[in-house]
Amino acid sequence: MIELQDVSKKYPTGQIALYNVNLKLRKGEMAFLTGISGAGKSTLLKLIALLDRPTAGNVLIDNFDISQLKQNQVANYRRSIGVIFQDHHLLSDRTIFDNVALPLMISGMRPQDIERRVHAALDKVNLLVKEKDYPMMLSAGEKQRVGIARAVVNKPSIILADEPTGNLDPVLAADIMQTFLQFNDLGATILIASHDQPLVERMGKRIIELQKVKSR
Amino acid sequence: MSKTRNQATSPLRSRLSQHNQAFHQSLNQLWQHSLSTWITLAAIAIALSLPAGLYILLGNLKTLTDDKREVPTISVYINQNITAQQAQDRAELLSELNDIENVKLIKREDGLKHMQQVAGVQDIIDTVGGNPLPHVLVVTPRMSLFGDPGVDLDALAQRLKNYPEVDSVQMDIEWVQRLRAIMQIAERVVLVVAVLLGLTVLLVVGNTIRLNIENRKEEIEVTQLVGATTSYIRRPFLYSGFWYGFFGGILSLVIVHVSLLFLIPPVDKLANLYGSQYNITGLGVWVTLIILVSSSFLGLSGAWLAVSQHLRKQFAMQDT
Repeated sequence: MIELQDVSKKYPTGQIALYNVNLKLRKGEMAFLTGISGAGKSTLLKLIALLDRPTAGNVLIDNFDISQLKQNQVANYRRSIGVIFQDHHLLSDRTIFDNVALPLMISGMRPQDIERRVHAALDKVNLLVKEKDYPMMLSAGEKQRVGIARAVVNKPSIILADEPTGNLDPVLAADIMQTFLQFNDLGATILIASHDQPLVERMGKRIIELQKVKSR
Repeated sequence: MSKTRNQATSPLRSRLSQHNQAFHQSLNQLWQHSLSTWITLAAIAIALSLPAGLYILLGNLKTLTDDKREVPTISVYINQNITAQQAQDRAELLSELNDIENVKLIKREDGLKHMQQVAGVQDIIDTVGGNPLPHVLVVTPRMSLFGDPGVDLDALAQRLKNYPEVDSVQMDIEWVQRLRAIMQIAERVVLVVAVLLGLTVLLVVGNTIRLNIENRKEEIEVTQLVGATTSYIRRPFLYSGFWYGFFGGILSLVIVHVSLLFLIPPVDKLANLYGSQYNITGLGVWVTLIILVSSSFLGLSGAWLAVSQHLRKQFAMQDT
């Protein structure tokens, strides 16, 4: 389902983030990306989410090379995946409900359908009672769960998460991982970047370790 | 999972829903930032009021010259000792000439009645005693010949002067022609002013939307991350630009009409002093609509330029 073929990413500064990466992730599979800081975990997720483009190689989703998508097709592609960011990327002037509803509003869904889906997503991450709150009123763990709810509200087939438990205590981190397991059980393909090696090993899922590219 | 995505949303319903969102979102934005909104609307309204006001001024000046004097006429003053019947006979003879369209007799009694309606003139008439006015023939040259270099109006006037009943002849066209030439220049000036101030509206709205974009940069980035198209990002800003133009246009109409109400009493007073029934005319329905449509279009265009520039810059940065 997700395939990277000889993917490299070199930034204009000359820094090489990824070099000749090959990776295959089956449909419905859940895997963890690990590696030391700077190994390219976030870059790899960005390439799959088309938030960035590789300088070499191909990123294939369902055997289609997404690197070839034009700018106006990228938005449609992004709506088909769910991305969870380490720094949440929540809109501070909107309620939790509105933040989670954002992908559905972009899709042009009817208000009553939006309400139903948002409530279901917030219920899954146990934040339904906070739907009228604003992000600044939430803890880091709650914000992360809002980010997860927003990523899954559109029922994406692929979920990408960049350090979703980065700033959380072990109990909350384990709680969030359980949430991912539930989505995986529903059929979503999930790729999670994490540097929390013990937590990742406890999950019993495939672990892909990225090595930091040495300067050339 | 993806198969169930957006199952209940048709493309048309989806587009309508997005427009509905942008419509309300843009109005909310204007409402939430009411001070800056009013400042922008005032700038737009003042910029639009000036050409609209000049247009009204020109329109009214045109009305002043839009009566029969627009047609070149020659006033033929008949000798005092000529009777009304003799003047009428001469009028009929003249009207049969090839180069004359028609001749209208204004009897001295009618002339006096008209003069008496002009404030202040009655005293002069009383002082003079009796009716000092002559019969007048208002001669209109044949229209098809007017402007033909072969037709010599001066020669016609000279011929009219040679009739024994005629005391003097006066051409009534020069001042109108001069005024019309001046007004043609004024019309061009109004057009140039309107274009320049229209550009000002475009820039004002463009700059306001650019600032809005800067303030909502984070929101734009997040919506792009979760799959917003450029149309989706552009839409609320286009609505905002439209509202700025539309409401600015309405405000400019209010300014123009309030100014007119302010001007009507002194103009009426002045017109009365000249014995005229002249009334100031406003913009009319069509010009009002043109102003509203133009201002809305300018607002929309300004917003389009600002958002396009932002998106172009953003895509260029992403490509590098």
